[in-house]
Amino acid sequence: MKLFLISISLKTVAALFVLLGMLASCTSTTVDEFRQGETGIESNESIVILGRRQASDYETRSEFVSCVGKHINRGENAIHVIPEQEFIDAMFPWFEPRTAPLRTRDLERLMAEDVIANKMMEFGIRYIIWVDGFTETTGRAGSISCTIGPGGGGCFGFGTWEDDANFDARIWDVSTMSAVGIISTDATGQSYMPAIIIPIPLIARVEANACSRLAAQLKSFVHGS
Amino acid sequence: MGTIGMKKFKVLGSAVALLSLAALTGCGVSNVVIEGNFPTPNINKLPISVAVYYDDALRDFSYIEYSETGREEFNIESGQSHIQLFNAVLPAMFDQVIYVDSIEEAQEYGVDAVFAPAIEEFQLALPTKTKLDVYEVWIKYNMRLLTVEGDYIADWVLTSYGKTPTESFRSVESAINDAAVVALRDLASSFSLSFAQVPEVRDWLDNH
Repeated sequence: MKLFLISISLKTVAALFVLLGMLASCTSTTVDEFRQGETGIESNESIVILGRRQASDYETRSEFVSCVGKHINRGENAIHVIPEQEFIDAMFPWFEPRTAPLRTRDLERLMAEDVIANKMMEFGIRYIIWVDGFTETTGRAGSISCTIGPGGGGCFGFGTWEDDANFDARIWDVSTMSAVGIISTDATGQSYMPAIIIPIPLIARVEANACSRLAAQLKSFVHGS
Repeated sequence: MGTIGMKKFKVLGSAVALLSLAALTGCGVSNVVIEGNFPTPNINKLPISVAVYYDDALRDFSYIEYSETGREEFNIESGQSHIQLFNAVLPAMFDQVIYVDSIEEAQEYGVDAVFAPAIEEFQLALPTKTKLDVYEVWIKYNMRLLTVEGDYIADWVLTSYGKTPTESFRSVESAINDAAVVALRDLASSFSLSFAQVPEVRDWLDNH
């Protein structure tokens, strides 16, 4: 009878974990595209993806920018992406948070500087993509308490939270010095952390999903498909 | 007391000593030496020769951040990183740059002007105090451009700002360093791009 009860409770716990795992993997992502001009890229041309860092209360994480770049740089129809920091350092001091161009007419003014125009040509930059956004964690609920004693330790409880990733990508064509489109990504997902002796994080990969979906859309946008 | 009792007492004593050490370590001031790489600006050089003088206050500049209880929490040493930054920026701005140990020494080289930067104020904002998810650094400078005789050509204030977001698995010291490096890059960009637009400098360059 005792063994039967243990077996039932183990099955219940396992089922709970499977259910939570399925729920945790549920991330919904919406991608919107707004095209303003024709696009296309030659094999000898490159793009650069830069994070916007002008806002006072947040800044676009360089890890997200790098993630989008890596996705575009590989696979079918891969596009050569110049790493963000390499580009910013090479263009110093024109692409720092305070000096970076905010509009295409600022880019026009910038390209009038010979040093900038020559560097752009050296890199073979055809498109500059400005990524702006952040991931916000909301709706934290539950609690987990852990204890440790001479006989051992453990945790018990349950925690949950929601992540919401919102990112915009604005694409500028360097050859025409004009904005050619905007792609917006909104991803949300619920994460869970049950703790029975050890905490088991069941994390919704919200930012990772936003990154891969945005990258896929950008790749097809730049190719003009 | 038996041997086992004595051993238990020693183990307990060691544990108490370790805990006390950990507690004391937690109370100490944390030293942060700002380190970063500063690229050379891509700008057109001004056709002037400048002697650069870094005084001891700049060379040894450090800022102490106090906790809410008045305890010394962080000692941020940024003097050397400022010098590293100016050494990267100034040769890209002027035709000729020499470094001097005193303003008087500049006379021997027959330069057009002497540049002597100074830090007036340093501020740090930690997420634990601001409740924002960013570490922030503000620095206020007094930029001085002098004749070789020591008279002022221009004397202006410049502020720089840097921030870095909070991240899991990153130490506070590393975040402070990153925010300070962003502030130093901000200084380099605004200084190199605005130098010739400072009214007194512009007038002096026009008459030079």
